[in-house]
Amino acid sequence: MTPFELLEPVSIKEALGLLDPDDPSIRPVGGGTALMLMMKAGVFRPTRLISLRRVGGRLSGIKAGRDGGLTIGAMTPLAALEHSADVARVAPVITRAMRRLSNVRVRNVATVGGAIAHGDPHMDLPPVLIALGASVTVISPTGERTIKVEDVLTGYYETALEKNELIAELTIPAQGARRSAYIKFTAGSFEDWPALGVAVSLEADGDTVRSATVVASAATAKAVRLTGAEGALKGARIDDKTLARAGDAGAQEAEVISDVRGSAPYKRELIRVHVGRAVRQALAQNGATH
Amino acid sequence: MATITGAQGGAKIGSQIGRSLPRLEARDKVSGRAEYTHNLRLPGMLYGKIFRSTIAHGRIKSIDTSAAKKIPGVFRVVTAEDIRTVIPHPYYGPAFHDQPILAIDKVRFVGEPVAVVLASDPHVAEQAVQEIVAEYEELPAIYDEIEAMTSKVFVHDELKPAGAFADLKHLTGRKNTNIALDFKLRRGDVEKGFAESAHVFEHTFHTQKVLHLAFEPFVSIADAKPSAVTIYTSSQGPSFVRVEIARLLGLPENRVRIRVPYVGGGYGSKLYIKLEALVTALSLLSRRPVKISLTMEEQFYQITKHPCTFRIKSGLDKDGRIIARKCEVYWNGGAYADVGPRVTQKSGFTASGPYDIEHVHVDSYALYTNVTPSGALRGFGIPQLVWSYESHTDMIARALKIDPVAFRKKNILRKGQKHATGTPVNDAPLEAILDRIAARLNWGKPFERGNGAVKRGRGLAIAIKAVIAPTTSVAILNVTADGSPILYCGTVDMGQGSDTAMAQIVGEVLNVPAESVRVVPRDTDITPYDMGTLGSRSLFHMGHAVRMAAEEARAKIAALAREVGEPEGSNVPVAELFKKKYGMQAGNIVGSGTYKPDYIAPQPGTGLTTNVAPFWMVAGAGAEIEVDTETGKVSVTRLINVVDCGRPINPKIVETQISGAALMQFGFTMFEKMHIDGGQVTNASLADYKIPGILDVPAVMENETIDSIQTNGPFGAKGVGETATFCVAPAIANAIDDAVGVRLTELPLNAEAVYRAIRAQQNKPLEDE
Amino acid sequence: MSERTISFTLNGGPVSAEVASHHTILEVLRNDFALYGARESCGQGLCGCCTVLVNGAAVSGCLYLAAFADGAEVVTVEHLDANGELDPVQEAFIEQGAFQCGFCTPGFILMTTQLLDRHPDPDDDQIKHYLSGNLCRCAAYPEIIQAVKSAAKKRQASQK
Repeated sequence: MTPFELLEPVSIKEALGLLDPDDPSIRPVGGGTALMLMMKAGVFRPTRLISLRRVGGRLSGIKAGRDGGLTIGAMTPLAALEHSADVARVAPVITRAMRRLSNVRVRNVATVGGAIAHGDPHMDLPPVLIALGASVTVISPTGERTIKVEDVLTGYYETALEKNELIAELTIPAQGARRSAYIKFTAGSFEDWPALGVAVSLEADGDTVRSATVVASAATAKAVRLTGAEGALKGARIDDKTLARAGDAGAQEAEVISDVRGSAPYKRELIRVHVGRAVRQALAQNGATH
Repeated sequence: MATITGAQGGAKIGSQIGRSLPRLEARDKVSGRAEYTHNLRLPGMLYGKIFRSTIAHGRIKSIDTSAAKKIPGVFRVVTAEDIRTVIPHPYYGPAFHDQPILAIDKVRFVGEPVAVVLASDPHVAEQAVQEIVAEYEELPAIYDEIEAMTSKVFVHDELKPAGAFADLKHLTGRKNTNIALDFKLRRGDVEKGFAESAHVFEHTFHTQKVLHLAFEPFVSIADAKPSAVTIYTSSQGPSFVRVEIARLLGLPENRVRIRVPYVGGGYGSKLYIKLEALVTALSLLSRRPVKISLTMEEQFYQITKHPCTFRIKSGLDKDGRIIARKCEVYWNGGAYADVGPRVTQKSGFTASGPYDIEHVHVDSYALYTNVTPSGALRGFGIPQLVWSYESHTDMIARALKIDPVAFRKKNILRKGQKHATGTPVNDAPLEAILDRIAARLNWGKPFERGNGAVKRGRGLAIAIKAVIAPTTSVAILNVTADGSPILYCGTVDMGQGSDTAMAQIVGEVLNVPAESVRVVPRDTDITPYDMGTLGSRSLFHMGHAVRMAAEEARAKIAALAREVGEPEGSNVPVAELFKKKYGMQAGNIVGSGTYKPDYIAPQPGTGLTTNVAPFWMVAGAGAEIEVDTETGKVSVTRLINVVDCGRPINPKIVETQISGAALMQFGFTMFEKMHIDGGQVTNASLADYKIPGILDVPAVMENETIDSIQTNGPFGAKGVGETATFCVAPAIANAIDDAVGVRLTELPLNAEAVYRAIRAQQNKPLEDE
Repeated sequence: MSERTISFTLNGGPVSAEVASHHTILEVLRNDFALYGARESCGQGLCGCCTVLVNGAAVSGCLYLAAFADGAEVVTVEHLDANGELDPVQEAFIEQGAFQCGFCTPGFILMTTQLLDRHPDPDDDQIKHYLSGNLCRCAAYPEIIQAVKSAAKKRQASQK
């Protein structure tokens, strides 16, 4: 790593003032676990890093809303999500996913905002958040805007965030009767990055799906909704045939990429199988954990 | 005879062998205070960072270091030209002197060291490396061992075997070839055997490129002074390093000092010369101590296991007896020979497996290619061979509808029978091991086959290895004036527990508790010669040397007792004897031992000998597995390892060695693979090259040492560091076949490979990329 | 301002150090305080060899900027036997032979102390998931699991 200027603003306003919309060598840093990897590999050489760890305010804390949703500060460490009773109540799929998300040390340091802003398609949290219908509030010197997480991610390590924008908080809407599941399929060791992540969130009457959100990640350049699979599930009775149809639709529509974790044709097969498995897992969350 | 008592406390005869004593250095390790080269810093030390080739094969046109030199804090930028000013002929290697300290004229693999930046701040050195620009004229490259046999692309212009080996002499000066060694074994007449066979089977197997990935990455420090050169290094073979550095520098051995503290993992990687020659040259050039620590990523460009292609052909009579076997083994040695020719020969011996076969024909080839060099990795080629021949064994048994255990029993080598080399197999309880594995698997009894998408199966394998020979170990035991013993031996404790085992041998001979023995850290100024900590040889060879040193010391103590007038059989503490002799706490008793086993070199051309090695290593493994047929994912639910290590000196450490070796091979079997694209390693990091973690450990692991004695071993013991690696891969592949009826002939057995095999079997092959 | 002075508590005592912005806490521990128990191996936070505790939470020292330790409480493996006696976790690792080369051991031991703080009587599943981010190339995993269980018993016994 090479020297850079490290600044630690104490307010959002101050932090925003230190960003530069035209200088890619200036970046905000949350926990830094992902950014440090890029810096150590020499693929990112910052001139200035703006640490958000002292900002506080709306960037920190998990708040349960009266509407049954959650507002989570962007600087909340993943471990805080993992151990939050509110998160376990509103979105137990997050609590479950945390168990296999990287490792304890990373979860202690990495932040919710960083997991989204980094744009890495292998991360486990974005597909889950998309399935939950979450959005982020983004602040820039000129104001703030709300973006759905699925719209934040625009490509492989690419996001819709401007260089002078910061994620302030994450909002997870009330889930009502929706049930969710996330499956992480690893091709190497158990603790490998996923070859495929599939997140499903659905609402069902008995075994008929009212609506479903299906998200694929890791096998694709970004976490992405599989709307064909969603369509195959909507209004359908859950049986092997429906799940096969949804899996086929997902496998067909996803733009999968080959890498060391598997070939594209194989990953398509993984999608085909795991859409159905994730739906079954979601249904198995019979609401008792809510 | 006097015994050593007093400060050490008394110990019963026979009390030290077979003790599950915790490692002597355990407290240092759990408290974070164990010494590793990784931790060492010397005053005035510079850090070196390596600039590496980005192409697989090419002529170096220019190296522009001007921008790097301008970076504040850079001490010096060094290329091969500079190296030659201090080491005129800067080529090294254990079998061939083919590897330049820094690339000269040509680069031969992606990652080959081309230049080095020296700086006091490693970050500055690292930054400056990015500023170096090399221009190459790219040359065609070869990556595959089979292509290398006939390719017109030659990795080296001329073969340069090291002078020391008689069996390599015929290769000197050979041109227009990538074959670094062609080992042959001929027993009987294989073609006649095939002609007489009722059934002939031929299969080809392949293993992938994997690496050791020690957690203490390669690290060496050199401090070259006019009086002597001192090298601190994470090495498994300090004696070899001394000899080779002395040769490179034209110095006598006593001007080169190699110091090795504890080693954070070796597994065969830290043998011979790795960074030692480079840091020595850099220290000579800079007149400062120089340290180079590789990153995890850089380890992918240092040394790996040999990928291997093995064509195996067997002829059987109508009763299922194997009567002829032809083995063609192609070892992908990478760009520099390292110890590849030795792997080719020493494992080539046993390529036909643990079976009694009349006609055997082995051709084993070491091949140069344009990838990271290959060397020794925990098994010295044997796991690649066993993977092939034990898969082949099951395939034959299945084709002939013979039970795989019964088929093995029909052909297995039994006590006193001659192995393919012509050497009798003694102290090699193959059948007993096979029986134990079969019994533990409840072989022949019904087995739950799974349901739905999940199918279950089980499989097994057995193997034999001849320990590398002939090799020498020397040990010195110093009994101090208070009776406390100090052992000087060059065996490197890299986790296998050798310090503890050697201390137990001393303790046994001198009748003192092993924990009272001090084993000094390896330092070639102090510790005598040892061939190297490799190939599971240390416990046997160094164990004997240590035993002999201790016995000599014991005899001298007895003589001292007589000299000072103690009656025969007196129990006076040794400290008292010294006091009586010298009038105060003074003096030493020094015993030494040198061990080199008998050996008869194989006949040129046939490879036959009646004494190929002082001992055999034999092993078996059994596996129960589940296959998710919709994804191809295999879960190993039970892994059984049964090995022969003679009498275990330290049963607890032995079990850890068995389990650790099996789990390492489990990674090589299930998912580890260096992905190489156009010579580039595309997964050179722990993020993308995955190794087994705690959640990958099979739910049930059973480790057993068969009850046996190595007749010629120290206290009946022999080495066990590699043994449990041999059979894991074929046992699992055989279990997969048992579960889903597909046969994989290439490692790793990852989910995609299994899934593709299932689809192919269903006549619905999955398309390629 | 790439150089700065940070003050923090190290193994129970107040310290300060001049650090550069690009230095990790791991480098500072080694270069300024000669603490070598945490060590860099994979450099990516995956192996756990560099584990240190910052404000009571385990972090990968190789990915943690030293500047972020300003004002924090930092604990390394060397603190566990500060009173001259081994911690029960260290004792258990020795007794169970839960390591070979020892390079990853301090990381496993620190993580185990954290695990037992959170789950005083962990089952196999909890042990495996908690330690899944620590790798051991010698693969002493079965012994490590035994050591964690043994350490849990030792801790409970000492609290009675």
